Amino acid sequence: MNTSSRTTSSLRLADATVAYGQRPVLDGFDFTVPSGRFTAVVGPNGCGKSTMLKSLARTLRPRAGAALLDDKPLGRWRSRAVAQRIALLPQDPVVPEGITVKGLVARGRHPYHSPWRQWLPGDDEAVSKALSATGVADLAEQGVEGLSGGQRQRVWIAMILAQDTEYVLLDEPTSFLDVGHQVDVLHLCQDMRAQGRTVLAVLHDLNQAARYADQLVVMDGGRVVAAGQPADVLTEELVAEVFGLAAEIAADPQSGTPMVVPVHRR
Amino acid sequence: MSARSLTLGALLLAAIIAGSLATLAWGELGVGVPDLLAAARGEASTTATFVLERLRGPRLLVGIGAGLAFGLAGALFQTVTRNPLGSPDVIGLGAGAGAGVALATLLLPGLVPAPVGAMVGAGVAIGLVHLSTGLGFASPARVIITGIGVAAMATAVTQYVVAVALRDSSTQLAGYLVGTLNSRSLGQAAVIGGCLLVLAPAVALLSHDLRMMDLGDQLAEALGGSAIRTRTWAIVLSVLLAAAGVAVAGPIAFVALSAPHIARRMVGAPGPHLVLSALVGALIMVLADFAVQHVGPLENLPVGVITAAFGGVYLGYLLVTAWKKADA
Repeated sequence: MNTSSRTTSSLRLADATVAYGQRPVLDGFDFTVPSGRFTAVVGPNGCGKSTMLKSLARTLRPRAGAALLDDKPLGRWRSRAVAQRIALLPQDPVVPEGITVKGLVARGRHPYHSPWRQWLPGDDEAVSKALSATGVADLAEQGVEGLSGGQRQRVWIAMILAQDTEYVLLDEPTSFLDVGHQVDVLHLCQDMRAQGRTVLAVLHDLNQAARYADQLVVMDGGRVVAAGQPADVLTEELVAEVFGLAAEIAADPQSGTPMVVPVHRR
Repeated sequence: MSARSLTLGALLLAAIIAGSLATLAWGELGVGVPDLLAAARGEASTTATFVLERLRGPRLLVGIGAGLAFGLAGALFQTVTRNPLGSPDVIGLGAGAGAGVALATLLLPGLVPAPVGAMVGAGVAIGLVHLSTGLGFASPARVIITGIGVAAMATAVTQYVVAVALRDSSTQLAGYLVGTLNSRSLGQAAVIGGCLLVLAPAVALLSHDLRMMDLGDQLAEALGGSAIRTRTWAIVLSVLLAAAGVAVAGPIAFVALSAPHIARRMVGAPGPHLVLSALVGALIMVLADFAVQHVGPLENLPVGVITAAFGGVYLGYLLVTAWKKADA
């Protein structure tokens, strides 16, 4: 990774107000992405999780305040420079018609190219590394449209890996997948963190978030209501307050991480 | 560019050259390859020189230039609107140009040349679309829907003018309204050539970010592009190219719409395929012009009639196959 040695690197939102139309989703919002960690963002629908992610990735611009990369507003960076350091996988990305797995993964190299240099010596290696790291090397020449949901998600993550960024932001990467493929994706997130990348993912399943991520950020109504290690954050009170769910927190029999068990309805 | 694209490009180029040579050589006044070689040395006969410089040469060059411009315009437009049925025609460029010509002929007969009327009309129509969407060219759906409205209004203006005021000159106008290559001049060929020389490099620069637009706005931006800026520039360049084509050949229908589809089907891979679309556009024009010059029953029809008939059939075929695919 081209910037992993940087020690001052930071990505955060400072006093940011982000709105769709008139209604602000985030209002005076502060958040710093925990560096070098795999952080899961959880919270009820409409709490501003995706909005936060998009603001950090420059695809939504704060109306007031700023998203800052190394303390410089994202808007003042060249867009290619940002894309060399921050990758975003949107919730429901569009698959171009007729594209092959390899073709899609190679799109991740775009930030390093320019109209004058559309191929670089490191491209082939970055693409083949991404293909094998996600276990889709065998599918390289196949069409993406013909793949299953789980395979497709691996291919998208391979594209993000080919982008070779320090920050990886994933918007609900496990939604619409069966549980086996959900765990696959979470393992890939852990692998990315092990490579020294900072991973921030919006997740829905609290137990998976607590088990696989090293940091948990709980959002509600456009604010961060709790953040820290899953064992400290996930309490019965919090689950009741944020999700309106009466639950007991047990220990995961495999990992010992907190596990939310809804109270049996009588 | 892949090896397949290069091969296809070479084949298309060969077909354009063959079609051009046939158009020049066919029939009574035909100028064959020996005559062309003689002309290149400046030793051609008077007849051959006249045919080349006044009759068949200019219309051939204008046809190729306009075809390249329309093909490129369509590919740009379809890529950034992600709408396979999009083209500058759909948003009122051709209809606006037609209304411009009709009004120029009605209000300022003999004062405003048809190409100028066409450019002004096209400019007004596209300006109206830009204003009416409220978001400029940022939202593809709004551009297309307002464009359809503007095109309908422009067509109404043209029909009013033709019906009420122009019974005498309407035959001549009719040719212009569907697009024609009859009695072109080398000056017009220079105009379209010059426009292509200026606009094509701009398109080449844009093509780098254009290639990412099929991933959706969010990913295009996350990968270092600017979706709205790319879309706006692509539509502006598309409109300028189509307007240049309209200025020299009239609002020739369906070339901008169908050329990118044909190119895409030939390659069978995603991408704007700008060069191939332009070449397909040129080939359509060369073949259509051959038909109206040398194929008995079609002789002397405006070339736009041929492209409209061809395009209509092709569009129908496209829709039917798309529906079949959707049903399967």
